[in-house]
Amino acid sequence: MQLTGAEIIAECLLEQGVDTVFGYPGGAVLNIYDALYKYSDKITHILSAHEQGAAHAADGYARTTGKPGVVIATSGPGATNLVTGIATAYMDSIPMVAITGNVSTDLLARDSFQEVDITGITMPITKHNFIVKNVADLANVLRKAFKIAMSGRKGPVLVDIPKDVTGAKFDFEPVAPQPIINETSSEKADFESAAKAINNAKRPIIYMGGGVVSSDAEKQLVAFAEKIDCPVATSIMGLGGFPASHPLFMGTIGMHGGYETGMATADCDLMITVGARFSDRVAGDRNKFGENATIIQLDIDKAEINKNVKTDYNLIGDLKDTLQILTDTVEKSEHKDWIAKVEEWGKKSSVSETPMSDKYAHPYHIIDAVRELASDDDIIVTDVGQHQMWVSQKYRFEKPRTWCTSGGLGTMGYGLGAAVGSAVAHPDRKVVLFTGDGSFHMNLNELATVKSYNLPIIVVVMNNTVLGMVRQWQKLFYGNRFSQTDPHRQTDFVELAKAFGIDGMRIHNDSEVETVLKKAFENNAPVVVDCCISPDENVLPMIPPGKTVDDMITEME
Amino acid sequence: MAHKQIISLFVHNHPGVLLRVTSLFTRRGFNIDSLTVSPAGTDGYSRMTIRIEGDDNAIEQFINQVMKIVDVKKAEALPQDSSVASELILIKVSTKTHNDNDILAVTSSYHASLVNIGENSLTFRASGTPDEIDTLVKELDRFGILEMARTGIAALENGDRCLNNNS
Repeated sequence: MQLTGAEIIAECLLEQGVDTVFGYPGGAVLNIYDALYKYSDKITHILSAHEQGAAHAADGYARTTGKPGVVIATSGPGATNLVTGIATAYMDSIPMVAITGNVSTDLLARDSFQEVDITGITMPITKHNFIVKNVADLANVLRKAFKIAMSGRKGPVLVDIPKDVTGAKFDFEPVAPQPIINETSSEKADFESAAKAINNAKRPIIYMGGGVVSSDAEKQLVAFAEKIDCPVATSIMGLGGFPASHPLFMGTIGMHGGYETGMATADCDLMITVGARFSDRVAGDRNKFGENATIIQLDIDKAEINKNVKTDYNLIGDLKDTLQILTDTVEKSEHKDWIAKVEEWGKKSSVSETPMSDKYAHPYHIIDAVRELASDDDIIVTDVGQHQMWVSQKYRFEKPRTWCTSGGLGTMGYGLGAAVGSAVAHPDRKVVLFTGDGSFHMNLNELATVKSYNLPIIVVVMNNTVLGMVRQWQKLFYGNRFSQTDPHRQTDFVELAKAFGIDGMRIHNDSEVETVLKKAFENNAPVVVDCCISPDENVLPMIPPGKTVDDMITEME
Repeated sequence: MAHKQIISLFVHNHPGVLLRVTSLFTRRGFNIDSLTVSPAGTDGYSRMTIRIEGDDNAIEQFINQVMKIVDVKKAEALPQDSSVASELILIKVSTKTHNDNDILAVTSSYHASLVNIGENSLTFRASGTPDEIDTLVKELDRFGILEMARTGIAALENGDRCLNNNS
């Protein structure tokens, strides 16, 4: 069947099971958008306000569905606007296929209008990228792009397609995608020696990460943790991968993790790392992290072994498989005394939930109230900063893929786009975006998208009028010199929401939290809830960068 | 302990593959002192020979990271004691301060051949192990080296085993 390159793109998307794409039109993708017009009954296109929002939306779609997110942008600025979104997905191993138009092949390399070398620009932030200069290669390149994005350690792939290639015609034959199989490269003996270390452990902990969610291995992890009776700490990326209500769940680990996870990390004799990468926000001092423990690392990516922290045993493969084999290999054990000790530490880690004054609402209170109103399936999205850490500490996630946050790159402005992607993917669920006034200012233009598609997203703005996280660091490490963290903005988020055609509400103080949020939840339409938070609330506890739990800060001021 | 290690890569010769490999050096902070790219003898593939300096962990990390590049099919550290490594040098030596015969006495012991005679210079071509070439350069230094070009290292494992077997 003779099709244009643009139609081949649409056919390849259908072949891969893609029914939703995010993007923004432009000159170099006119052919692609013409094909999308033709295929509009099969492929839904969500138009963002800015390409960055579309990239984050594709990311949120991918995180909450497990399917690759697809984003389309035009050449030049369209393509460069995707860069932060692609880098965000890359750092968090989120599968994404970005399709960019480029100028026609005869105009390439001539600094033509809206020409940019996007494959060069995105080389370090994609798993792989392609420029397709011949329509004959197009279908196979797209198939490869999806395969690369979804296999092994997942991640973004970019395909750059010059305009003439999308206009040229070529034969197209559909090819059903092959199932992706990730081989376990570790051998039986490796599992046996790891199992022996586990059988001998007296004080084991599991440190899990986003890999558990990425490989849908939550059931296997629960079965494993239960069999060896082992407390579980999670990185922020792993939230939802182990039910918070499970008695073995300790909470988050790292810079703003709980006292008990910090103490358990320091005191454990065995650490089983499952789909996590010892980032500096977890292993502040990588030479001291788990230094008293034997470390077993399970990961799909061999390059993560011994990258940041030296490990004793490693098991390479899809966590669903490696956890299953390991569970079958270990002996059932009990660690009552150890768990009792961890629980003792847990009692000491309570942090004040009283608002700084009756002028304000307390962030934990807001988070708890949202949790009360939300079901376990509802999706929680954050931006980056204090509010993100409060949510990661406080919100009780029960199910995987109900959580979107920029963990690795720490992208302020990520949230609203990701919320759009989550809401498009799950029209049957509530999506709550927790954001700060700083992060929200970065990409609030996507409120236009929220309204256009009438996505019932609840935007909870933790408005402390300052750039709180940076300000907190200025308090701790820069002698209260608040350089550029108090912007004196006069934005009225309630009126702003109204300008976008969206309902706006305000929580002035702690007494209004429940009633206003209840109204917002019942609204079943987009809503912005402006929450007045004290500029002096801090995120505690905190392990300063490069330090250990011994240096944990539990009080400020 | 840090040491020098030769690593062979078998790569698809797609455009950009050299950039993908070299950008990894800077991004991940690997120290590279030699890089050679040539056809691999198999259509569509190139061979890269890289010498990296680092401890065992850094070298393992390099191999693991480079293997993540989609166009890299194979990456192996060549065994130090059972592989052959060679390099070629062209070197132009000044004849202003020393007698030609003094220079020729040095170069002949390294089997360097004289390829050009200038008014005030002699140009030699020599090949050998990287260490031999280093020593030759050091020896010629006292006469005054005007310029030189080294090809970088070519290296293969001894015996019948090949990098691109079963690829």
